[in-house]
Amino acid sequence: MPACLQRSAFPLALLALGLAALGSLAYGDLALSPARIWAGLLHRDDIAATVLWHIRLPRLCVAALIGAGLSAGGLMMQAYFRNSLASPGLLGVSAGGAAGAVIAIGAGWATASIIAVPLSAIVGAFLATAAVLIFARRGASTERLLLAGIALNALLGAVVSYVLSNFTLSYERNAQIIFWMLGGLEDRSWEHVLTAAPIVVLAALIVPLGRPMDLLSLGEREAQSLGVDVRRLRRSLLALTTLLAALATAVAGTVGFVGLIVPHILRLMFGAEHRRLVPLALVCGPTFVIVCDLIGRFAGGLRLGIVTSFIGGPFFLWLLRRKS
Amino acid sequence: MNALTLDAISVPDRLHDISLALPPGVLVGLIGPNGSGKSTLLQVAGGLLASSGRVAWNDRPLNSIPFLERGRLAAWIPQEAHFEFGFSVRSVVAQGRYAYQDDEYGVDAALAALDLAPLADRPVNRLSGGERQRVLLARALVTGAPLQLWDEPLAPLDPRHALEVLRNARRLTRDGHTVVLSLHDLRAAHSLDTVIVLDHGRLRAVGKPAEVLTPDLLLSVFGVRVGREPGFTFELP
Repeated sequence: MPACLQRSAFPLALLALGLAALGSLAYGDLALSPARIWAGLLHRDDIAATVLWHIRLPRLCVAALIGAGLSAGGLMMQAYFRNSLASPGLLGVSAGGAAGAVIAIGAGWATASIIAVPLSAIVGAFLATAAVLIFARRGASTERLLLAGIALNALLGAVVSYVLSNFTLSYERNAQIIFWMLGGLEDRSWEHVLTAAPIVVLAALIVPLGRPMDLLSLGEREAQSLGVDVRRLRRSLLALTTLLAALATAVAGTVGFVGLIVPHILRLMFGAEHRRLVPLALVCGPTFVIVCDLIGRFAGGLRLGIVTSFIGGPFFLWLLRRKS
Repeated sequence: MNALTLDAISVPDRLHDISLALPPGVLVGLIGPNGSGKSTLLQVAGGLLASSGRVAWNDRPLNSIPFLERGRLAAWIPQEAHFEFGFSVRSVVAQGRYAYQDDEYGVDAALAALDLAPLADRPVNRLSGGERQRVLLARALVTGAPLQLWDEPLAPLDPRHALEVLRNARRLTRDGHTVVLSLHDLRAAHSLDTVIVLDHGRLRAVGKPAEVLTPDLLLSVFGVRVGREPGFTFELP
């Protein structure tokens, strides 16, 4: 990639995000021109204002937040495990969040308090992370890492099935659970935006970790010998990844492969330096999810989780082939 | 003052009660058969592995030195380098300046010293074993750390690069740095200032090579008899 393009990567990424956001606000049953979007945002056009403020804007915000959370989460997990195939989805951390959320809905806590779902998603995700750590040590081979992920994903899938089959659920609760399993952005409200909003704070905490992540991703002892407080860094990375995956799952269900695809494409284009990759992932992750959501809407209402899996599945297999 | 002090170091099943002190400005060879604890000892000396006993750098107890400052005081190189990600050679070498706010000082000189300038833009995960080892050595050099701990740096290198690494080590010790390197090449060990002999996790001997590497010791520790056949010797042109 030419040097001038390398240097302007970040402004270009912001531009792409802006265009994707504009497309997401414009496209729908009621197509809106940029002028009408502007009028709608300022409440000068009642119909546009209703569509934007009640439907498209919250949806856009949730898409951007989970995109940032999942791709930064993937980047951190890859540095932590020193394996470019690690991500919250493949290792079962997202599934832990989903299982937590499903239990909260199934048990009826979700109706009692709006923080019940994100809170139990966080608990579920942390339990899953603990399990991953037991089975796959840092620097573990790809095989071991993926096998641990398969086992954990299967186990957590069984938890979800158990909740679905054993709770005497109302039709509405069952539908909510199915929604979580599919992953989607339909009917997202400002409540969901608020739930996912801590992702912004967490993202700000990740940026200064970029440089030590560079060193850690080439070896723990080496990093420590060069002056990194490895223990503290590892704890921070793990806590941040888990929180991000849990929050993303709590508001949009299981959306797979984002944490794998975005860091990989960025690495291919801009090299391995986390100093640069972290800010880029925080901008390009949202762009990717917004575009995937748009593709789903173009295709007549495909859910987000289905679109990312359709793209991510083959991409992952390609990576696996390239790696061996 | 001692550059490195180890006092009653033990690591269960690997090292038993090792005490030694190294003055600044010496080139030290750490020798011993496979599994004798060389790598473990270097990691303990670098503050990278917990042990009982006491480690001190420049007479300062290690546990009183903050992590960032440790990055300026000692550099450690593993026996084998595995690079998962495609950082460029130059950027990996520049990581040696992490403890100095990444000022890039000395990076070009270190690349040149290890013959890496032509490879500077290559991704490290596409290098051969010997090239990877030289990248790690260059990264250790740019830290400018007065204590250098190298775990078998010569093993994957071709003869000329191995000699150059020894010349670099010699240059460092002339500037007052202390270099400890583990090695299996007893002939090379013979040319160093000091040798440390480990056997089954115990300290067998420390001292000048001519005094320590006696035929009796070599036979009992390594199970080899010293030959006096001239054979080949190699040196830089």
